[in-house]
Amino acid sequence: MSPALLWGLLAAAIPIVIHLFFRRRPKPTPFPAIDFILKARQETRRRLRLKRILLFLARTSLLAAAALAIARPRLVAPEAKAAQGPVGPAAVAIVLDASASMGYRIGARALFDRAKADAIDVLTGLGSEEPATVVVCGGPAVPQADPPSFDKAELRRRLSEAELTHGHADLTSCTGAAVRALAESAAGQALRRKLYVATDLTAVSWRLDAPAPVVTTPAGPVRPEVTLLDAARGEPLPNTWLSNLAADPDPSVGPRGYRITATANGQMAEPMKDAALSLKVGEGREERIAIKSFIEIPRSGSTKKTLTHDFAVGGPAVLSVSLPGDAYPEDNSLFLTLNVPREVKALVVDGAPSPVRQRDAAFYVEAALAGPSSPVRPAVVDLDGLGKVRLADYDVIFLLNVRSLGEKAQELVDFVERGGGLFLAMGDEVDPDRYELELKRLLPAPLHVVKTASERGDHAAARFAEVEWEHPALSVFTGPAREGLESVRTFRYMLLKPERKDSASRVLVRYDDGSPALVEARRGQGRVMLFTSTLDREWSDWTIRTSFLPAMQRLAAWLAGGLEERRDWPTPVGAPRTIPAPEGVSVVGLVGPDGRERKVDPGPGRSGSLSVIPDAPGLWQVRVVRNGGKEALDPSLAFAVWPDPRESDMRRLEPSELTAWFGGESHARVAGDRPVGEGRQIPLWSWLLVVAVAAFLAEGLLVV
Amino acid sequence: MAEPAKTILDPVVLARLATLKLRVRAVAEGVLTGLHRSPHHGQSVEFAEHKEYTPGDEIRHIDWKAYGKFDKYYVKRFEQETNLRAWLLVDASGSMGYRGKDDRLTKLEYASALAGTLAYLLVRQQDAAGLAVFSGSIVRSISPRAEPSHVTAIVETLEGLAAGGETRLGSAVDFLVERAQRRSGVFVFSDLMDGDERILKLVAELRKRKHEVTLFHVLDPAEIEFPFDDPTLFLSMEDERTVEARGRDVKKGYLELLRRWLEETRRFAAEADLEYVLARTDTPLDEVLVPFLARRERSAA
Repeated sequence: MSPALLWGLLAAAIPIVIHLFFRRRPKPTPFPAIDFILKARQETRRRLRLKRILLFLARTSLLAAAALAIARPRLVAPEAKAAQGPVGPAAVAIVLDASASMGYRIGARALFDRAKADAIDVLTGLGSEEPATVVVCGGPAVPQADPPSFDKAELRRRLSEAELTHGHADLTSCTGAAVRALAESAAGQALRRKLYVATDLTAVSWRLDAPAPVVTTPAGPVRPEVTLLDAARGEPLPNTWLSNLAADPDPSVGPRGYRITATANGQMAEPMKDAALSLKVGEGREERIAIKSFIEIPRSGSTKKTLTHDFAVGGPAVLSVSLPGDAYPEDNSLFLTLNVPREVKALVVDGAPSPVRQRDAAFYVEAALAGPSSPVRPAVVDLDGLGKVRLADYDVIFLLNVRSLGEKAQELVDFVERGGGLFLAMGDEVDPDRYELELKRLLPAPLHVVKTASERGDHAAARFAEVEWEHPALSVFTGPAREGLESVRTFRYMLLKPERKDSASRVLVRYDDGSPALVEARRGQGRVMLFTSTLDREWSDWTIRTSFLPAMQRLAAWLAGGLEERRDWPTPVGAPRTIPAPEGVSVVGLVGPDGRERKVDPGPGRSGSLSVIPDAPGLWQVRVVRNGGKEALDPSLAFAVWPDPRESDMRRLEPSELTAWFGGESHARVAGDRPVGEGRQIPLWSWLLVVAVAAFLAEGLLVV
Repeated sequence: MAEPAKTILDPVVLARLATLKLRVRAVAEGVLTGLHRSPHHGQSVEFAEHKEYTPGDEIRHIDWKAYGKFDKYYVKRFEQETNLRAWLLVDASGSMGYRGKDDRLTKLEYASALAGTLAYLLVRQQDAAGLAVFSGSIVRSISPRAEPSHVTAIVETLEGLAAGGETRLGSAVDFLVERAQRRSGVFVFSDLMDGDERILKLVAELRKRKHEVTLFHVLDPAEIEFPFDDPTLFLSMEDERTVEARGRDVKKGYLELLRRWLEETRRFAAEADLEYVLARTDTPLDEVLVPFLARRERSAA
């Protein structure tokens, strides 16, 4: 109630003042039939007096009720009437909501701090003969409740030390566990059962379609007396948050360009216009703002914003998108880890140079690899120049119609086995026997003989028929783009001998007669790709097809190990995450978003993947040991963890809905912002308005 | 389009005519225009004229000799030896000075116009007309005569009246009982707002004495409709009484009392064989007189 507004009650004196000071003087009028007036007044005198009194009362009531209603008075009813129950000691269970949404701040204080204080107040108010138990509810762990005990100091310590989690809380399960603990308690058998739940009343924490918890007694199920301690004190909890972040390669932006799409959500009274949305790249000290943008977040719903960014260098990268800070900052930022394609150095060895560029395979390959948005930097040499080149300076070697490598063959084998990439294209110069002699360890399959499918211009040319579209190098071809590969005509190609059993080769593309067109094999740490036709226009017309340029760039990146083999999806907080550890690498620790290090025990000499459960949203770094060396953070293993989207939904339950679920007002109530044990407040202003309206109507009827 | 006579007979128009003489003339002419036949034919043993028989005429008045001569029926008409004697009793009490609107006639002016017109009409057809003006007692009186100059005296007397004093119709009745020995027509012009509740019984006494009594109950529209809403201090027009009341509070009760009073008055008049005419002062005078005279003509026939 607002006492200052009670000055409005003076308005009730207006009718009296008008009656006393502003009464109209009657106009003297001679009239013959005065006897009738006298009689009429005599007959109606009592009725008129009553009417006048009622009219005065109606006007006074109208003004007084309206003035009182503006002051919004409440009636305090005795608490005993709000939640009836037998008098006496009780066994008490206190459930403390520690879900992420309890980190919401009203003023300078988090809801969790308020809830914890409420819970401690309840514990303090218990008598020495009242046993109690505490359930801290939040995170992925299955809720457990100890039997009620009389050790209040221990329970107080548990409440004081309880920490806010970043996970979701299933309060239906937690209250169920608490009530079960009350039911199973030997100490509390003869006592009443009371359940206190300190929470923010967000709807997502409750499953009201499940049955409400009851205490099973020999006499049958009994509902506990439930008190809801509303940490938000009835206040709404407006929130804005990011629910999704996606980054897709966009060559139109640059060689390492990405299109980044963020999904922002709002749950507020009014839409938020021109909210700042910033894109940051890098992590730690290297983090910098790449783009500052603005977004309009709807009052209730979501909207998307797309930003573009071209990474300066390839390799593991981190980006994050942030909204302005609000009362619940946990969901205002989302991280994403990427493996940005590195710059690939390619050496194109032209085995049959031609003064006519159109007849030179190296011309087409170089042109395809050296596009402005290509991550590949090609260098072309002929066989004479190859001897002066150090192969280790390159990431991938293209051998185009090369007759023989001679002394360089062994260097090439070493290059591939140490992780380099090799692309072989056939031609008139290629001698299968020599290849078998020099490059046997690298070839995905032994070369056999050249087959002529048709002469040029003949419609019977061979075509690509079976394509492994899911292969990372070929996955860019989707929809109509596949026609660019399927329309390639091949007139001549090298037949391959049956694959060796241990070759571990894989045919990515076959001709329509079933013969391999593109074969891949892993040799050591490197990759080898064999194309059974030429990369000029002698044996095939692939070089003039639309698929040639993206295919060459993707194949070069793939052979150099620059393509993602698996999309790195962020992990929701609390969900298990597998960290793949490459060979010779041991994971020894994790560094959380807060900078705190969590040690993991990989076991003696153990390497391989490791499963962890990240407990906070943000960027997680992985500390590894390579080949018994020093510990170091491996940027390629860093991963993003996103907040639980359920906790961002701050829609609150109507308290009456929850008390009804617990069994109605006779079993449950909301303490709200009042100390436990204080009376229930009943708003009176609506009734006063009804009185005012009734007085207004009565006044209207009486005046007529 | 309204007829000129109708227009001039409107009380509002008449109120603008300065003298009662003019009012009486205007009303009488209007009334005569409205009547097509002479309102009265006296009964007398002295022959006056022949008239061709028409159905409805008395058969006993057929002149059989004339039938023998002309082979047509003729009815003898006679001239009454002594015509009707009429007394006009005009109430000039204080309450008769009321008018609800300034452009309206007061009740006394309206009653005077009615009385003067009747006097003119009576004298014009050889009847004798007398006047008695009363309030608390008889104020003025003029004995009945049938001479045309007598009308002037009556009208001038009426013109000089001023409303005042209380109403005592009983004094007029007493006066008439004393002065009217033979059967007469008595025309009472009053608002009947007399303190004596037996007033109508007194008037009925006149009827018992074979007089033909007609009550012109003159009321202002404001008395009938009571158009008051606001707090008003009502002042009595005949004594010192005052009543303070809000119009809308007493209106319903007033109108109910008035309705009952008018109903009782009308019923009593009917039971006592008195002719009763309610004359609202906003009603054109011919609309009051013509139906009345027509009724009398029918009853005389």
